[in-house]
Amino acid sequence: MADNPAIRTERLTKMYGRARGLAGLDLQVTTGEVYGFLGPNGAGKSTTIRLLLDLIRPTSGTATVLGLRPRADGLALRRRIGYLAGDFIVDGRQTGRELLTYLGNLRGGVPRATVDALAERLGLDLGRRIRDLSKGNRQKVGVVQAFMHTPELLILDEPTSGLDPLLQQVFVAMVREAKAAGQTVFMSSHVMSEVQHTADRVGIIRDGRLVAVERVEELRQRSVRRVEVHFSEPVTPSAFVGVPGVSELAVDGPTLHCRLDGPADALVKALGRHTVVSLLIEEPDLEDFFLSVYQHNGGGRDAG
Amino acid sequence: MLANPFTKALWETRRSLIGWVLGVSGVGALYAVFWPAMETPEMQEAMASFPQDILDALNYDNLTTASGYLSGSVYGLLVPILVTVFAIGGGTRAVAGDEEAGTLDLLLAHPLSRTRLAMHRVAALLTCLAVITVVLGLVLSAMIVPVGLDGVSVRDLAAMTVHLTLFGATFLALAFAIGAAIGGKGRTLASSSGIAVLAYLAATVIPQVEGLEWVRNLSPYYWYSGEDPLVNGVQTGHALLLAGLTAVLVATGVWRFNRRDVAT
Repeated sequence: MADNPAIRTERLTKMYGRARGLAGLDLQVTTGEVYGFLGPNGAGKSTTIRLLLDLIRPTSGTATVLGLRPRADGLALRRRIGYLAGDFIVDGRQTGRELLTYLGNLRGGVPRATVDALAERLGLDLGRRIRDLSKGNRQKVGVVQAFMHTPELLILDEPTSGLDPLLQQVFVAMVREAKAAGQTVFMSSHVMSEVQHTADRVGIIRDGRLVAVERVEELRQRSVRRVEVHFSEPVTPSAFVGVPGVSELAVDGPTLHCRLDGPADALVKALGRHTVVSLLIEEPDLEDFFLSVYQHNGGGRDAG
Repeated sequence: MLANPFTKALWETRRSLIGWVLGVSGVGALYAVFWPAMETPEMQEAMASFPQDILDALNYDNLTTASGYLSGSVYGLLVPILVTVFAIGGGTRAVAGDEEAGTLDLLLAHPLSRTRLAMHRVAALLTCLAVITVVLGLVLSAMIVPVGLDGVSVRDLAAMTVHLTLFGATFLALAFAIGAAIGGKGRTLASSSGIAVLAYLAATVIPQVEGLEWVRNLSPYYWYSGEDPLVNGVQTGHALLLAGLTAVLVATGVWRFNRRDVAT
């Protein structure tokens, strides 16, 4: 699969006058994976996406998407892509139904049942005019149009901005299902939390360059977690001193708090010698990693 | 109605099109209704007292016949201004307006080429333009007998309609081309309107200066009505100039549009 990437860019560069939008981006997204494309506003995420869609043209370098060139094979390529922009802007005078019918027709028709099913899942009323919808509901229309033709590649630019937490969960489920169905997902964000539940890999872009690429699973294993344990009776701290990966140990009667670095195995076995009432290991916060990459890559050098 | 950009554009513009048709035809009908009053000796005398230069500039060069009156009033000033406003407004919206509103990205992220989108939208606008001009022609045709527009035939009005449509098409294509090639709604509106005003001056005021009579030959406004199609029929050369310029502008706009970045 690695030799047949869904997206591949080589030294992709885009200058806006003298300002640099992208500075030699080398990106590789494997077919079938969910790729989180992270960076703060202005790092070049949208520039990259607009280059992939042939909305803008590179100053130099090349991009290949689904084996096709955005410029030369734009029509064939965009037929196989679903695109959602973070700020989904359309003429508000039409209803969601009208817009989706039109966009579906541009793709040669999309079954009404598919559109209805997506709308129902997101709780979207297609009969209302788009200008009468809240920002979140408007964004749902965008989600539907990106997913409705089951594209091979989903390009999502900060997709969940404006969706409430409940819908973000629905969205996460939709991305997972897309992956399960063999679709590739390329999703940009400026916050790790938006992508860490779905992405297989994250690439971090800074000043128009990719500065780090990591597997999310590895990040998870590497990252620090907070642990809280309640025992049936008070325990002594000494029982846990020296357990691999454990630090900042604090025992207060039957309650233990600590930091855990790396695998949980040694700690779990140490806990097993006591009666554990409850155990809480926090989901690692990958945001820290994202921020540390930024702080440690002040020069914007390639570290990936 | 939502099958493609052409039908979509027509569908979206249906209400405003009705407004334009009523407005332009209404203006035409209103002028025509006043013809019997213009015919009276008192009015003819009053008009004769106006300085000839002003009458020329306003296109009122022959008010003694019904066709002269229609050429000067209906087809001479207000209707071409309205048609120009429609054409420049529509041509600007076709690409530049949509781009500035941020709604172009989504469409162009679909399997829709820029050429196809542009051509469909221009075709829809040209259709609307033709509806406006043809209805005006029909309304005036229907008024020939009741109002007594002696000497004006349906054939004359058809020739005038051809010229008016091609004239509108030229400015439509101009605004489209500037918007497609360069983008920016304000810039497109301003430059197209500026050129339209220049074209009007080049056909009316500038030629009054000694030695500058030839300038009018460069003006679409002169190609439109300079040889009085309402009296003399379709002027093939001028009609071809208008049609040719329209085609060149549309082609240039599409060509540049295909080669530039779409603004965010």
